[in-house]
Amino acid sequence: MSDLFDQFVVEAQELLEMAGAALLALERDPADRASVDELFRAFHTLKGASGLFDMAPFTRLVHAGEDTLSLLRDGRIAMMPDLADRLFRALDQCARWVAALEAGGALPADAADAAETLVRGLSGRAAAEGAAAAAGGQADGFPWVTTLTGEERAAVGEGGPTATLTAIDYTPDPECFFTGDDPLALFRRVPDLRLLRIEPAEPLPPLAQMDPYRCILRFRALSGAAVEAVTHAFRSVPDQVRIGSVTLAPAMVPPLPVPPSATLLLPAPQGSLAAAMLAEQARILDLPGSTAECQSRRAAVARAVAAILTALGRPTDRGAVAGACGDAAALRRFLAEGPVEKPVVAGPPPAAASLPRRALRVEPERMDALMALVGELSVVKGQLGPLVGRAGDGELARDMKAFSARLDALVGDLRHAALRLRLLPLARVFDPLPRLVRDTARRLDKTVELVLEGAETEADKDILDVLGEPLLHLVRNALDHGIEAPERRTAAGKLPGGTLLVRAFQDKGGVVVEVSDDGAGIDPAAMRRAAVAKGLLEPEAAAALADADAVRLVFAPGFSTAAAVSDLSGRGVGMDAVRAAVERAGGRVEIASAPGRGTRVRLSLPLTLSITRVVAVEAAGSLYGIPVALVGGVQRVARAEIRAVKRAESIVLRDRVVPLVRLRRLLGQPDDERQRAADCVVLVELGDGPVAVAVDDVGERADVVLRPMTGVLRGLRGYAGTAVLGDGRLILVLDLRELL
Amino acid sequence: MPIRYDADLARFEAACTAEDALPLAEWLEATAAPRVDLSACTDLHTALLQLLIAAKPAVTAGPEEAFLARWVGPALGCGIPLSPPGRGPG
Repeated sequence: MSDLFDQFVVEAQELLEMAGAALLALERDPADRASVDELFRAFHTLKGASGLFDMAPFTRLVHAGEDTLSLLRDGRIAMMPDLADRLFRALDQCARWVAALEAGGALPADAADAAETLVRGLSGRAAAEGAAAAAGGQADGFPWVTTLTGEERAAVGEGGPTATLTAIDYTPDPECFFTGDDPLALFRRVPDLRLLRIEPAEPLPPLAQMDPYRCILRFRALSGAAVEAVTHAFRSVPDQVRIGSVTLAPAMVPPLPVPPSATLLLPAPQGSLAAAMLAEQARILDLPGSTAECQSRRAAVARAVAAILTALGRPTDRGAVAGACGDAAALRRFLAEGPVEKPVVAGPPPAAASLPRRALRVEPERMDALMALVGELSVVKGQLGPLVGRAGDGELARDMKAFSARLDALVGDLRHAALRLRLLPLARVFDPLPRLVRDTARRLDKTVELVLEGAETEADKDILDVLGEPLLHLVRNALDHGIEAPERRTAAGKLPGGTLLVRAFQDKGGVVVEVSDDGAGIDPAAMRRAAVAKGLLEPEAAAALADADAVRLVFAPGFSTAAAVSDLSGRGVGMDAVRAAVERAGGRVEIASAPGRGTRVRLSLPLTLSITRVVAVEAAGSLYGIPVALVGGVQRVARAEIRAVKRAESIVLRDRVVPLVRLRRLLGQPDDERQRAADCVVLVELGDGPVAVAVDDVGERADVVLRPMTGVLRGLRGYAGTAVLGDGRLILVLDLRELL
Repeated sequence: MPIRYDADLARFEAACTAEDALPLAEWLEATAAPRVDLSACTDLHTALLQLLIAAKPAVTAGPEEAFLARWVGPALGCGIPLSPPGRGPG
């Protein structure tokens, strides 16, 4: 049974993902039959599979979804954004439940209530209809009404002792703040509000663990107005609210709370439901459709049949089931003949070709151990070179050289292969974007076309984890502040719909993700004014900023350009957080914007976090490493070109004044006594502009495995860690952000 | 800033939005005996309300705006104001 359950969880996740994609496609093109069918199949399969377990709310919800979709398929209702919203909410709820099932093996306690509201939203079609149905005698759907305190009754009871009131039971979606809802504000629109109870919907966590952006309140209210009038106030959240009329009885006899109407679809006795489901599977095989459709149906049916049989205590060979699912008649015969009596098929297993490709799961620690070993191997191999050099010119030396070269190549390949093990396609971080764009654009009343390119580009899993949040933020930001409302776009002579391009590609030694929009762009003049107004810059300094630098101010901490911060992006995760996250991972952020034409933000990240490319530099006889991601260039600067004001030095590079610091001084070493005509300078790009770092000498660039400081050295600031160069020398890798 | 923080007293002014939720959460957590003054608050976002319900700071002055005074004040333990709303801070 537990195997079957695990299988259900995995399949449900796949089906929900599939359904989400199909729903997005369908919303875009409501005439897309294939998507309707796919969506229907997904809900149908989920219904069948979930019916095998004790999760009535789940089954109930997907059944309601299936009903809605069958109306849609038959053309009796049309695909509208509202309907898509409700289906998305149902899918989201199912996904949360599946996650809960995976974690704890059971649905959360509030599942029945949650299903109830969502089913209502789906089957009610229009909120008014739902409300009318609720008004049809569901007073006992609000058991709390009977538990009012005397004081509350007094406050409510202006309409006489047996007043008919409208009860509101509103449990906002925990994520509702992200879609801009303010549940409390909805009650301002409720006519004749008589009672409002604000309660935590779940036990309140300690303040420190509370997520301020997750709604955990529940609202219960009574109004003296009619159901229709109250429903109107909640038209934006039909699936989260229950509204119905109640009669406030004068006596305090609490009627027994009736369990949520059990008539709809709760599993009939196990046997008959299973039988009905099996019959349904055969019917599905009869449905007309293209070859591809029939094939995928056959596969789904085979899975469902196998699962049902297993649940009935008749585990059956999968190959046999798949074979019987060729057409409806065969399946009926197979079921009628009853696989029970047959001995378990002992023949050879079905052809291996039918086995699905399975991903191998490996603990991250083992991967890290492998990477570390490969790193060590590279270092040891590096020491072979000098040794071969000392062997002289003889035949032995020649052989050793050839051997060393082969080893070089193999170690290189090995390292490459080990690195690739950790690579995953960027599709993982792209996947949430279509839905995010859809929901956000809809909320903002904007039309936005999302174009995704390069989802197959690969990057290290750690990098993907770093990339996720910033990418979401950039996309949200582009929708919110970048792309204008359709009227403004038309007025500016653009197409009313905006385009958002998210593009990923491989760049030298790293991965690049660009988010570009064709929106309003960023006005450098406005940025300068804002920087001065916020006290970030003196007026003169702001005026001296080049346009490109002014635009970069969006990354400055505490900066927000929009005149009125909308509730969408304005939630503490600013562009500075994007920059910080990317830079922590050794990457960098660039922004380019043309007022009126759009903005492009480019995130460049290293391919992996486990290997860092550094430039080795020398200061006072020791070697240090500077991450290449920060280095904008290396050059010699004549002493005469260094201007000094007291001890503060600067140089002019590409028409910009760049402060110059000496690594020896930063590290507390004595100044270089030697008289030199020129200094070796590494140009380092930090968030707030370039800095020139003078060093004694610049050495090779090398890929190193960076080891963070441990033990007593951990408190040492200014160093990102240690690394071993190819020739076995140890270097300290600098954390220049900390040092400067 | 719709919320002004002054040592252990936070003054809510005008429309306080979800934007203030994170700073408010941090302040409530960091302040030993937080006090809030809601008298000038005209709109209180649910995100802020739930933080106040969870942290239970001392309310030195309840909201004066009619809707908040009638429905939100009691939830924060300021009692139902005498009608018409508009009593002074206290």
